Parts: sequence; C-alpha cells; structure tokens
Amino acid sequence: MSHKLLVITLLASQLIFMTLGTAETDSSEQILRVKALLNEVDDLWRGNSSYAITSMQVKTEHYTRTMRMEGWSKGKEHTLFRIMEPLREKGTATLKSGNHIYTYLPKTDRTIKLTTGMMMGSWMGSHLTNDDLVKEARLEDDYEATISFEGERNGQDIIEFTLIPKLDAAVVWGKVTLTILAVSHTPVVEYYFDEDMLLTRTISFTDIKMLGGRERPSVLKVVPADKPDEYTQFIYEQLKFDLELKDRIFSLSNLKKR
Amino acid sequence: MRNNHRSIVTMLAMAFACAMMIVFSSLMEGFVAGSELNIVSMNTGDIQIHQPSYLDDPDIYQQIEQSLALVTAIRQAGFKASERMFAYGLMASDQSSSGVQLRGIDLQYETSVTDINQHIQRGTWLAKSDPHGVVIGKKLARLLDVSVGSELIFVGQTADGYMANDRFHVNGILKSVSSAIDNTGVIMSNLILQDLISLPDGAHEITIMRTDRSTDLALAVATIDDIVTDDLEILNWQQLMPVISQFLETAQIQTLIMLLFTYIAVASVVLNAMLMSVFERIHQFGIMKALGVRPWQLIRIIYTETFIQTLIASLLGLFIGTGITWYFEKNGLDLSSMSDGFSFSGLALDPIWYATLSIKSLFVPVVFLFVIAALAVLYPALKAAVIRPVDAIHYH
Repeated sequence: MSHKLLVITLLASQLIFMTLGTAETDSSEQILRVKALLNEVDDLWRGNSSYAITSMQVKTEHYTRTMRMEGWSKGKEHTLFRIMEPLREKGTATLKSGNHIYTYLPKTDRTIKLTTGMMMGSWMGSHLTNDDLVKEARLEDDYEATISFEGERNGQDIIEFTLIPKLDAAVVWGKVTLTILAVSHTPVVEYYFDEDMLLTRTISFTDIKMLGGRERPSVLKVVPADKPDEYTQFIYEQLKFDLELKDRIFSLSNLKKR
Repeated sequence: MRNNHRSIVTMLAMAFACAMMIVFSSLMEGFVAGSELNIVSMNTGDIQIHQPSYLDDPDIYQQIEQSLALVTAIRQAGFKASERMFAYGLMASDQSSSGVQLRGIDLQYETSVTDINQHIQRGTWLAKSDPHGVVIGKKLARLLDVSVGSELIFVGQTADGYMANDRFHVNGILKSVSSAIDNTGVIMSNLILQDLISLPDGAHEITIMRTDRSTDLALAVATIDDIVTDDLEILNWQQLMPVISQFLETAQIQTLIMLLFTYIAVASVVLNAMLMSVFERIHQFGIMKALGVRPWQLIRIIYTETFIQTLIASLLGLFIGTGITWYFEKNGLDLSSMSDGFSFSGLALDPIWYATLSIKSLFVPVVFLFVIAALAVLYPALKAAVIRPVDAIHYH
C-alpha cells in the first residue's frame, strides 16, 4: 500500500491517457508535443516493474501518524504494498490485481476483498481512497489532455496540462490539471477538481533528488481542499525500476508472507 | 318485525360490518403499537442525548464527555438509561463484505432500556463470557451469507488513524428492527468496540426510557434537561423519528375514516330495511294513530325494534370480530408471501402483522353502529309519526 507508488502510478496513467486522447483526435504538431511530453513524464515513474520503500505521514485534526512500507509493481495491473512499520501494523498488505483490491490482515490472519461500497473509504487512514488505487488503470480511457498554459509562473518556466474527462467516462473528477517544469519536465503540482469545478485536492511534488537512476521529486504531498491543515505525505527512500518480478509476487498466497 | 328474512339480512349486514371494523381497528391498533414498540423499545428509547451535531454527522470523535457521570445522574433521577458507542467500517465474511455500523452497547444497562435482546430471530443475545460474539441485522446476515456461528472480520480505522481489525463470530441474528439495523447493524459490547477502535471514554449516545411510559414525555424531557449541564442535544423519539411519529398519529384517523365509510354503507341498508318495514305497516300505524297512539310512542316502537336488531347484530359482530381478531392476535396476518418485511422512513416491520385486541378497538365499532342505526332510522320513524291516520289507512 505505498501511497507514493499509487500516486505515481495515478499520475503516470493520466499521462498515458492524455497521449492516447490526443493521438485519437488530431495529429497536429501541438498534439504530438503533448504526447511526447506526457510520455516523458510517464517514463519518469513507470517502468515495466518497480520496487519502492516509502514512508507515509498522515496528519488530520485528530491524529498524526507515520508508517513505512515497501511496494512492488508490475505493469499497470499488479501492485503490492506491505507495511514495515509501525510494529502494530507490520505485515498488513494490500494487493491490487486488475480492478480488485485485497487486504491481508496479520492480526486476524485473514485476507479480505474490498467491495464497491468501500471504494470511497479512506485507504489506511490517509487522504487517498481505495478508489484512487483502482482507478489508475482506467484513467487513460477516461480523459482528454491539452496544454492549457506555457510560460513563466511563480518564477518558474512551466507547462500546464488540463485533463477533462471524456463524456461517457465514469470518473469522480470534473477536471485535473498537471503542471511540469518546462526544462526538466519534472512534475510540480497536480490539482483535482470535482464535478462543480471546485478544487478538491492538491498533490505537490517536491524535494527533487536522485532516485532510481535519475532526478525525480521524492516527496508527494496530498492536501484536501476542505481541510487545508491536513495532509498525507509520501517520502521516497528507495526506488528501483525494471526489476525481474515474477507474477507469483502478486498472488493471494504471497500476500500473507511477512 | 313482520318480515323475518329482511330483519335477519339487515342484522347480518350490521353484524358483518361491525365484525370487520373490529378486526380492522384491531389490526390498525396492532400496527401502531407494533411500530411504536419497534421504534421505542427496540432502538430509540423515549429520549436520546447526543452532541448537538452528531445526528447530522456521526463522527466517532463527537463523544459526550463525562457520559458515565451523566448516565449515572439520569439513573438516580429515576430513569432507565444506557450508553452507546458507534463506529463504521467493513465487515467481511467468507463470501462477501459490506459496510457496517458497529453499535457498542452497555451489556449491563442496554437491556433495561430496550428489549432488543428479546428480538432475536436465530441464535442468542450477547454474552459477557463471549466478547467476540456479535448480534447482526437480518438483511446484513443475508447479504454476508452468514448464519449463527459464522466468522466475521472487521476492518476499519481506529480513532488514532491506525487500521482496526479483528475477528468476530455471529452470536445471533435479529428480527426486523429498523432499516438501519437490518441492513448494517452489528451489535457488540461497548468495551470491545472501544478497544477495537482505540476510542477514549465517552458515549456517542445516551438512550433513556421512562420507568412508567404513561407519564408525560415532555415532563421527562424537562427533567433530563435539568440534569444535563453541558451543551448537548436532547430529543424525544417523536423528534428522532418525525415521519413515523406523524404517520402513527394519523393511523387513528385513518381507522375512523374507514369506519365511517363502512358504516355509511350499513346505514343505507338499515335505512332501506326500516323504510320498507314502515311503509309495509303504514296501514296498521294509521289505525294505531286513529286509536289514539301518540306519534312519539310510534317513534319509540320503531326505535325499540331497531335497537333490538342492532343489539343482536352488535353481539353477533362482537362475537365474530373478537374471534377473528383473537386469531390474528395469536397467529398474525402472514404477509410474507407478498414481501419479507416492510420498511419506510427507517421503520421496519415484520411480514407477520399482529392484531391488538383492546377495549377501544371493540368499543368504537359497536358504539358507532348504534349511532349510525339510530340516525338511519330517524327518517322512517318520523315519517310514521307524522303521517295522518286517514292517509295511512287509505295507503296502498
């Protein structure tokens, strides 16, 4: 359940969808450029497979907590997260396989499959929902991407993409905007808007450092718009790409291993 | 009563209407009593105390501080009171999973306030010796495809942001209580719930029942209000369940309207029968008047006749109506072939509808029958009273 991985995959899939959307509608130079840029941002996060160690900090009105976890991913369909710390939750694991999410609970030694009713519930007490985990694979089918701003903003040379859901897409967002640096093409911030085009959450990308062989933002911070004092923050400690991962890693039986 | 056939048919019609109305009133009374019982004795109690915004936003952090001291003070004031805690999460069985509301109740006091422990369809109520045994709603049991003894896994979130999870087993499955409990209710000890979700002390809800339910509810609320010093919301069950409360109030009016319509039909039968019997004997009435019988004496004769008929009819109606009602009181009217339980506005009813036989449900239809018969016979009686003897004697 590494949220960071999740967020990254989310972002990546959005990028992919953007490229697909543009490729379908037009073949002008601008469209090709959008596709190329988004692919580049996508490549920043997505390999054929990945391994990461991240820590998640959640701050709400009622509690502040930190946990560390490791995660594996293969393609878009398979993701596995396992909690390392705190001890109280060690071994708790989440497997995303296609559109299904399974959670293994070491305390009860049981694996639970999450149902649709639980999808909008908070994932591990964070500001992300279970739905955020599942939706990533579908984003590419669901949105159209355009460049909505290019130039200097807040002293930085940036490019801003706007992602609008396609008419028949069953998504919870009304609009998503993504800002990347014009030179390095590193993501800066992502804004999520609801159906009434009101800002619901902000994901910011900071602390650029060497991760998995190149410079990437190492901190992702999710801030809900209605509770600006609360946040969920993912800090990458380790990130590796294109590992040899067997499908067996993403099986229900492996979910239980500690 | 010259024409025996007509008199018998009239009496039978009256008796039948009277019997039907007794059955109908008893069923309605049973419905009202059953609904109020389901709401008050199974769930809400007479009065509840919460944090002011808890009902709109049932947040686990909205606890009543010092609820133990408060509930003790309320008990000392002569009420029955119990603390409750609630939490939300996912309950999973082997087959399926569903969102649930965990209801943590005080094992010692909950049963002094509500009778929910006697409302078990299968299995048994919570036991102190078996802390992980829970009682669940009937529709939830079907949704999760579990029966008594089945294992359940709860996954949720603790108050300090960690993952709450534990293994439980089904101790009992409730009968229909309310749509909320039927669909999502999981009842357990409040101590277990508190431990499960790492919640500090303090109930979300205090449920209060008057020792004598015939006392004034508003007065009880005022007494509780004096005890509660903090800024808490005190609501009676009618405020907690406004739609149902209004519906139950109108149920009595519905019974009366039904009674009126049925008896208007009866009145036309009585009127017709008495008119015919008066005109049939108008010749005799003319002679009686010629012999010096006074008009009011004639009226008295006709009324006596009607009274005797109504009396026989009402006795017969009482006998049949009581018999049928008694059957429905014992066995209930089984509507399960039509639906397996009705619910609206949070009220859930068992598919078996029981009648309640009361003095009122017997008395009102009978009294109404006499009044209606007396009104219906007024016109024929006056007609006979005012007719001129000469006309009457020559009447053909």
